Amino acid sequence: MKKVLTALLASALAAAALPASAEIVVIVNKDNPASRMFSEQASQFFLGKSAMFTPVDQAEGSKIRADFYQKVAEKDPAQVKAIWSKLVFTGKATPPKEYKSNAEVKKAVADDPKAIGYIDKSAVDDSVKVILTLP
Amino acid sequence: MKKQFLAAAVLAATSMLAQAGTLGDGNLSISGFGTLGVAKTDSDDAKFARYNQAAGTGDSPRIGLDSNLGLQATYTFNESLSGTVQVLTRKNTSQQFTTDLTWGFLKYKLNDETNVRVGRVVLPAFLISDYQNVGYANTMMRPPIEMYGQAPIENVDGGDVNWQHAFGDTNVTVQAFGGVSRGKLYIPTGGGSVAKHQSPVYGLAVTAEYGPFTGRLAHARAKIEVNNLAPINAVTDGLAATKIPAMIQLADDLTLKGGKRMSFTELGLTMDWKNIVLQAEYAQRRAHEPVYIPETNSGYLMAGYRFGKVLPYYAHAYYKGAGSSVTVPTVPAGHPLAPTLAGIRGLLVSPEQKSDLIGMRWDFAKSLALKVQIDHVKPQVKGGSLILPSGVMTYGNSVNVYAAGIDFVF
Repeated sequence: MKKVLTALLASALAAAALPASAEIVVIVNKDNPASRMFSEQASQFFLGKSAMFTPVDQAEGSKIRADFYQKVAEKDPAQVKAIWSKLVFTGKATPPKEYKSNAEVKKAVADDPKAIGYIDKSAVDDSVKVILTLP
Repeated sequence: MKKQFLAAAVLAATSMLAQAGTLGDGNLSISGFGTLGVAKTDSDDAKFARYNQAAGTGDSPRIGLDSNLGLQATYTFNESLSGTVQVLTRKNTSQQFTTDLTWGFLKYKLNDETNVRVGRVVLPAFLISDYQNVGYANTMMRPPIEMYGQAPIENVDGGDVNWQHAFGDTNVTVQAFGGVSRGKLYIPTGGGSVAKHQSPVYGLAVTAEYGPFTGRLAHARAKIEVNNLAPINAVTDGLAATKIPAMIQLADDLTLKGGKRMSFTELGLTMDWKNIVLQAEYAQRRAHEPVYIPETNSGYLMAGYRFGKVLPYYAHAYYKGAGSSVTVPTVPAGHPLAPTLAGIRGLLVSPEQKSDLIGMRWDFAKSLALKVQIDHVKPQVKGGSLILPSGVMTYGNSVNVYAAGIDFVF
């Protein structure tokens, strides 16, 4: 019994030592004149409220995608899906293109001057520009 | 037969779901939405239906009230030009499920803030006009009939211009539209009949979004023309046959032949703040020249609270008569036309109805939502929006509608 408790305590401590979820950064193309952005502004592109930038999404069902929408707009994946279905089925907008990994999102953003995406902070390199960090 | 059809539709939808991944990669994207629902009421005397729906739901379970399936294809020609087609299968003005073209347009993006669409586009009379048939995009099971029944025209053959601009933190969208609306109207009186309308229509919708709040103001004007409206034509033909000038005038006032100008003004508000979800609308239907269609005021308020993936909600909806644009001449009692004119005075009175409803939406899986809803419908005047048996003019009892359904998108 005591061993179990110790093990539980140890694993709890180990979990506490890790950040609850990794930091996510919002990235744009290096040619994009924007240098900083608030999360409310960033959420506009990902929720279809502005077409100034072209949003690039992570894979549906991925943890980073769920974390991103929670942090940027306090929406869960089902709420985001409902918001997009309002826009899609009137032909007003098409949902963001999905990419399978941080590397693919980064490449898509590096290739398109109007693109905006989000990746793990650890995946950032000088091919893209960070305009917002979501802790 | 109906069940087989729906099963086939769901199978087709599922196989498309499997293909959607491959189709979505190129310039063509195919998506869809639908609801598989079942509903019954506690009364067979008066039947409950959606607006413009011929098949009423009574005290035995029916899938036709809420079930539908929409398929949409968008082809992107280049960054500026795309084409969209959407078909919707549902029970509408026919007793069977039918499939209609809801949208079919070319969209040209002029710049980041402006686009133009030409073809068959939505008539944005209401807050949720754009997605009223997409169950998954809505909190409630169906748009309140008290309000959405006041202007049952969904699309326009013509075009619209959409302009979206951010003023600080407020996003403003202006949508101007115009064209000719064509379609079928279900006329529940006299045992039920279907009339065709063709109505030039234009209008404007302005939407402002600020954080969790959205406000919307819309105004639409139409010249509603229906030439084969059997119950009204029978009355006006009879009046014209008297050869009395005042009666010929009355016939001209009542009729929709040749078209009559009407307007619809709507104010809508939504809020999705913390876990509180509010949605409210108020609308006025007005006649701008004499016509038999009564003027009405309508509205509803929905309030819900999100507990994680479960969202229980309550709503109250109503519509009331706001007068008639037709003045019926008076004749002495005992005049041979007195009963006819009394009948016409009755015709000009708007039905009225109130509803209270409770329901729950549960986002139980990816792209799937389960809804249950109970409507307590209280007809106030003439049986409200309930479908009454042939020959029955009024119905005053409350009706409860029990419905459950699964909404999906793919």
